[in-house]
Amino acid sequence: MHRVQARINGKDYEHEVDARLLLVHYIREKARLTGTHVGCDTGNCGACTVFYNGKPVKSCMMLAVQANRAEITTVEGLAGNGLHPVQEAFLNRFAVQCGYCTPGMLLSAVSLLESNAEPSEAEIREAIEGNLCMCTGYQQIVDAIKYAAEMIKGSAGKAL
Amino acid sequence: MMNLDEIFVTRNWVGKPVRRDEDIRLIKGEGAYVDDLDMDCAHVAFLRSVYAHARITKIDTSKAEALKGVIAVVSGPEVAKQTKPIVARAITQPAIQYVMADKKVRYVGEPLVAVAAEDRYIAEDALELIDVEYEPLPVVVEIEDALKNDSPLIFEEAGSNVLLHDKLEHGNMDAAYQEADLVVKEHFRVHRYSSTPLENWAMIAKHEKGNDSFVVWANDQQPGRSTTNVCNTLGIPNNRFRLIVPDSGGGFGIKLAIWPYIVILCLLAKKVDKPVKWVQTRREHLLGGSHAPDCDVEIELPMKKDGKILGLFIKDIENDGSFVHTAGIYGLIKFATMVGCYDIRATRAELISVVTQKGPTVQNRGVGKPTMIFVLERMMDIAAKKLGLDPVEIRFRNFVQPKQMPYTTPSGEIYESGNYPECLQKALSLSGYNELKKQQMEMRKKGKYIGLGISAGIEPGTSNLGYYYTSRGVPEYMGNAEGAIVSIDYDGNVNVVMGSVDQGQGHATTITQVIADMLDIHPERVSVDSHLDSLVSPFLGHSGAYSNKFNDVDLGAVIMATKKVRDKMVRIASHMLGEETGELQLKNGAVCSSKDEQKSVSFQEIASLAYKKILLLPDGVEPGLKEIAYYKNSMAKRPSRDDFNVQITHSNSVHVVAVEVDMETGEVTFLKYVIVHDCGRQLNPGIVEGMTIGSTVHGIGAALLEEFVYDENGQPLSASFMDYMKPVAGGLPRIELAHMESPCPYTLLGSKAVGEGGAIGSVAAVANAVEDALSPFHVKVVSLPITPQKVVRAVKETKEI
Repeated sequence: MHRVQARINGKDYEHEVDARLLLVHYIREKARLTGTHVGCDTGNCGACTVFYNGKPVKSCMMLAVQANRAEITTVEGLAGNGLHPVQEAFLNRFAVQCGYCTPGMLLSAVSLLESNAEPSEAEIREAIEGNLCMCTGYQQIVDAIKYAAEMIKGSAGKAL
Repeated sequence: MMNLDEIFVTRNWVGKPVRRDEDIRLIKGEGAYVDDLDMDCAHVAFLRSVYAHARITKIDTSKAEALKGVIAVVSGPEVAKQTKPIVARAITQPAIQYVMADKKVRYVGEPLVAVAAEDRYIAEDALELIDVEYEPLPVVVEIEDALKNDSPLIFEEAGSNVLLHDKLEHGNMDAAYQEADLVVKEHFRVHRYSSTPLENWAMIAKHEKGNDSFVVWANDQQPGRSTTNVCNTLGIPNNRFRLIVPDSGGGFGIKLAIWPYIVILCLLAKKVDKPVKWVQTRREHLLGGSHAPDCDVEIELPMKKDGKILGLFIKDIENDGSFVHTAGIYGLIKFATMVGCYDIRATRAELISVVTQKGPTVQNRGVGKPTMIFVLERMMDIAAKKLGLDPVEIRFRNFVQPKQMPYTTPSGEIYESGNYPECLQKALSLSGYNELKKQQMEMRKKGKYIGLGISAGIEPGTSNLGYYYTSRGVPEYMGNAEGAIVSIDYDGNVNVVMGSVDQGQGHATTITQVIADMLDIHPERVSVDSHLDSLVSPFLGHSGAYSNKFNDVDLGAVIMATKKVRDKMVRIASHMLGEETGELQLKNGAVCSSKDEQKSVSFQEIASLAYKKILLLPDGVEPGLKEIAYYKNSMAKRPSRDDFNVQITHSNSVHVVAVEVDMETGEVTFLKYVIVHDCGRQLNPGIVEGMTIGSTVHGIGAALLEEFVYDENGQPLSASFMDYMKPVAGGLPRIELAHMESPCPYTLLGSKAVGEGGAIGSVAAVANAVEDALSPFHVKVVSLPITPQKVVRAVKETKEI
């Protein structure tokens, strides 16, 4: 057994875990944060995407012990009490159907907009290629991310 | 269609892109899917067959049972002793299969032993300790193998690997052949694929030891049928089984028959003092979590030289793998879609279902309709080429005309509404078809191969469940219906409980829109519990989400229950205000006098009488404001082989696609994708758009990428998303969508199916576009998927894909 101390969404967690425990299972079953999903066994679907020290990772491809002293953000920690602009945009643009891919998709979208404030449609599509959505055919998700970029830009303009 | 003025008092919400009520929880990560439910569970893993066909000579689970952390084990032979065989819906030959492998295994991935342990890791460890001895048997993988005279038998009791063989003829086919100038014939092969919901199957079963009953939480898509199937298979009364369906991460038909695993979980739960949970892995899902069957279709069109089709013959052989429950269903649904959008007066169909050692099949999005439209729309192009006609022209010459509506097909399917020529015309102009044709010729001079593809598809919805009686006499289920409970609570707000379930279609939002317009309240005052609980939800054997029945019978039940509640509120208000009911109207959450709006009582005040001050109620009015209604579409015909309708509503669409094919790599790139879609009255265009585009991408994946591949030993070679290729956001076209609205006269709101249509039209349109691009090389597309390897080979050698 190994001791893992991780900070998830700003809160500290500490558990004894098996060396083989996957990070996604740690997040879901030990920290009981069930917004992070599992959709495949091979790192293809992206439903388990979280931020690991600020970078998006597929948490089914990492071990829980690797999260020791790491900072992790899941969908539950994306915004405080309100909504992140990307979440707001997903609501407005019908980017959700069954909602199972949504948390991972949101994190990939937030990560894109943090590094590229005005992505083209092709850049958006490329940025979410690691996230499978079986319901929407992606188009409304792409539109939502584009809309989120505009919203973020618009509010930044107002602040100036 | 009802007079909408009888249904609605306002028109503020229905038809508008109202934001989805479901989404706020889902975007915050607060969904409640089965695996998210906070229960202390034992975790289940399955040992599955590694052979496609083998006799089981020994199963020894003793070492697994001795492993620390293992709580209980059940194996196939033990399960077979305690259960009845799986019930068959369509096949006519006897074929005895249990929910777990008993004496032999019939496909790779068939469950053999289930282990419950303290956690999933331990359960998986235990599988390694189970000793199984197999005696391998010769295998049957492809359709040709199954049909050989000396083919090994998968079900000995059937005496053959053909489990269903039916022939249906309507109209005068002999005359069609006699009058024909030519008969266009072709032979198609369609592969196995699946819409693979992102959430795999998941379930929790709890055995209540006190009264020997079960509670199950599962992402079941058809709880009405599952409940009775589980109880019958376990041999328990229905009142000992309660099914709860929480959030579900996509369905597309693939979760319609998860009930055999519920049976296994119940038997395991009996041995365990806490709930047992099984969450399917993706590998398990791709092995045995059900596919659309692959099939072989021969088709003939007796035609006149001017392009007019006189009759249509198909011989359809479907490879249903090894799952007797749903085997044979696809052929009958193809049959119902056989004439597509065309006025063809004679049909002959030979439908065959074979059993093989491929995995189970179930109703995947469109259930045979995508294949039938693929075959038919390929034939339109092939016939056009033969006759020197433009593919557009041959379609115009055969369409059912708007003045023929309602149009009855030779077998009795009723196309109730639609304008097929205008739909095609609109799609041509929106896509700039003629301009694209010019560009195509210019690009060809530059060595670039552009192709244009059209498909005109029909999208039948609301299944008349008696359809498979054709082969089995009197069916167990007939027609289609759904139930709803609508209540007004103390605050005058509305609460709805449905008999159906949702896998992401936005049912709750649409229901709030309808009720808001029926009662003149804001949709926020309507809350819909889309989680089914068989103890309280008003479900029927038909209950579930399939064949796009929601817009029809589900909303029908909601409307009828809301009308009952509304009538009761008006009656109570009439008593309170001293006005005749005919003089009253609903306004802004209150009932008021039409003459004097000041004379008004709010829903809350009415509820106060109904629930509390019951002595003030008018004579003969029961306390309470909760009404239940079941609604059936009365257009479903009773069983008869001569005249029957498989589906009750008929949407249609035209897809126009432009692709470029790279002759070096075989890669297909999209240049244009236009859909004109007619699903009758749209209730929420935001939802309709998402369903149509998402569905279209399923068809694109099926046409170009996805395939369940098996080797000659029946070993699946595509058991992960690394081998089974799903479409990703890059590489897909931007889909331009336009609508026509031909209201359906036989649904209450004039709505029709949406959801399957994209998957139905896209496969054919993409295939037609690729063939058109390859026309300088005389390549014919007669199989799917159109992979880069097949394209390159066809151009250089085979001339056929």
